[in-house]
Amino acid sequence: MVSIARSALLRQTGAAGPIARPSVIAHGVRATAFHTTAQKSLLAPPPQRIEGSVNDPAPVPETSPSHGSYHWTFDRVVAASLIPLTVAPFAAGSLNPTLDAILASTLLIHSHTGFQNIVIDYIPKKRMPGIRRLFVWGLNAATAVIGLALYEFETTDVGLVETIKRIWRA
Amino acid sequence: MRLSGLQKEILSLYRQCLRECRKKPDASRSHFKTFARNEFDKNMSLDKRDFAAIEFLLRKGRRQLDMYASPGVKDIKT
Amino acid sequence: MAALRSTPFRVLGSARPSLRLAAAAPVRGFAQLADGATKSLHASEGNERLKTFQIYRWNPDQPTEKPRMQSYTLDLDKTGPMVLDALIRIKNELDPTVTFRRSCREGICGSCAMNINGTNTLACLCRIPTETNADLKIYPLPHTYVVKDLVPDLTQFYKQYKSIKPYLQRDTPSPDGKEYRQSKADRKKLDGLYECILCACCSTSCPSYWWNSEEYLGPAILLQSYRWLVDSRDERHEQRKDALNNSMSLYRCHTILNCTRTCPKGLNPGLAIAEIKKEMSF
Repeated sequence: MVSIARSALLRQTGAAGPIARPSVIAHGVRATAFHTTAQKSLLAPPPQRIEGSVNDPAPVPETSPSHGSYHWTFDRVVAASLIPLTVAPFAAGSLNPTLDAILASTLLIHSHTGFQNIVIDYIPKKRMPGIRRLFVWGLNAATAVIGLALYEFETTDVGLVETIKRIWRA
Repeated sequence: MRLSGLQKEILSLYRQCLRECRKKPDASRSHFKTFARNEFDKNMSLDKRDFAAIEFLLRKGRRQLDMYASPGVKDIKT
Repeated sequence: MAALRSTPFRVLGSARPSLRLAAAAPVRGFAQLADGATKSLHASEGNERLKTFQIYRWNPDQPTEKPRMQSYTLDLDKTGPMVLDALIRIKNELDPTVTFRRSCREGICGSCAMNINGTNTLACLCRIPTETNADLKIYPLPHTYVVKDLVPDLTQFYKQYKSIKPYLQRDTPSPDGKEYRQSKADRKKLDGLYECILCACCSTSCPSYWWNSEEYLGPAILLQSYRWLVDSRDERHEQRKDALNNSMSLYRCHTILNCTRTCPKGLNPGLAIAEIKKEMSF
């Protein structure tokens, strides 16, 4: 009797099968290879190294405002002062060599600190100290060379604003 | 033989393991030694160009060393 | 400091549900019930709303195997509305080996942070998109070491949190010997800061943090730093500022604002970092 009842039950569920479909569809064994983006092994972040054990706090670097807050404020002041400096020659309509020299030097400092930021960002001192030193000095050398070139340009040639003016009119 | 950076790191980890073994009590020192050896032997067959796996195992090894090196761990079953 | 919360229209504009929506639950719950009833009728006719979930899989016990994406298909009508419901259901019914962290399932513990369809959010606060033709892709938090499947290793994150001393530091006892009192205005400064649950969504979405996670603190920790900097009861203001005053800890933030975009709690770490910078500059 029990077996009959059971088979009837089974039959019932079997019939009900298509209606009360199992909500879970057999999971596909679709397993795709792991590729999020095209492989570009240009320069990947070096692997993270964790210092100390799990329960130690991460080391706090030494305070140095010249690399921190002063540097940041200086950056902003230079960037903000570039705006009036670029507008001034066009607004005044006159070409003042002093103003021209100030504009050139501010531009130089601005681009130097900008590139410095890139170097600090992408070449961590801890993990690649050698390459970091190379790039910092390379940047310093480049800035010095461009500074010299700008000086020559300002003193012996027509100057920055006048050049742009001429190229614009050409 | 010239070793790559990764190989040097593995060797230094193994040396650290042996050094930590020496700090354990005499009775269980050999247990720790065999355990460390077994852990390294397990992955001997790894392809040496499989950097991702090797780096993972290295990290895992460092974590394990950290854990077993604590003075509270007196003995280990191998 | 109310401005520290990002504006509601931005949260609503994104595909993510906000807490605001969850607060209107009773009405919505009814709507969903009715909806579900009709849908299950349709289901019996053979048009279930099937959705495929692609989940990142990697097993540390087989380190030589490459990570892969595995697909699971669920009927949305019989699954809860959030991604976490779907994940729990996959683990219960399809594949018990799928590994992920979860705890409170209501966006207050920060365990289930993961990368869903390219955005870092909490799985429990992320609605499953209803269109069924596109697969939903779930990855662990980007640029973290993976412990297994969707579980990221957040050791460095917690170590950095510890390094900012996230507790009240005082020498003077309170005047009445009971508690440290605070004016209403001072308390208001903490709004939009204390809600942070340290889910690490913002830090792991920050490109600066991807590169310099060893030294740069990242948005979540800096938001917490600011929370202790503005607290009127704290007496280590200068020391806290000094700890941040170097080229790496704070100033690797370049105002990319991925943090504010991704925050599942609608906070604004970008603004908090800007406030710290402003306070330090003069």
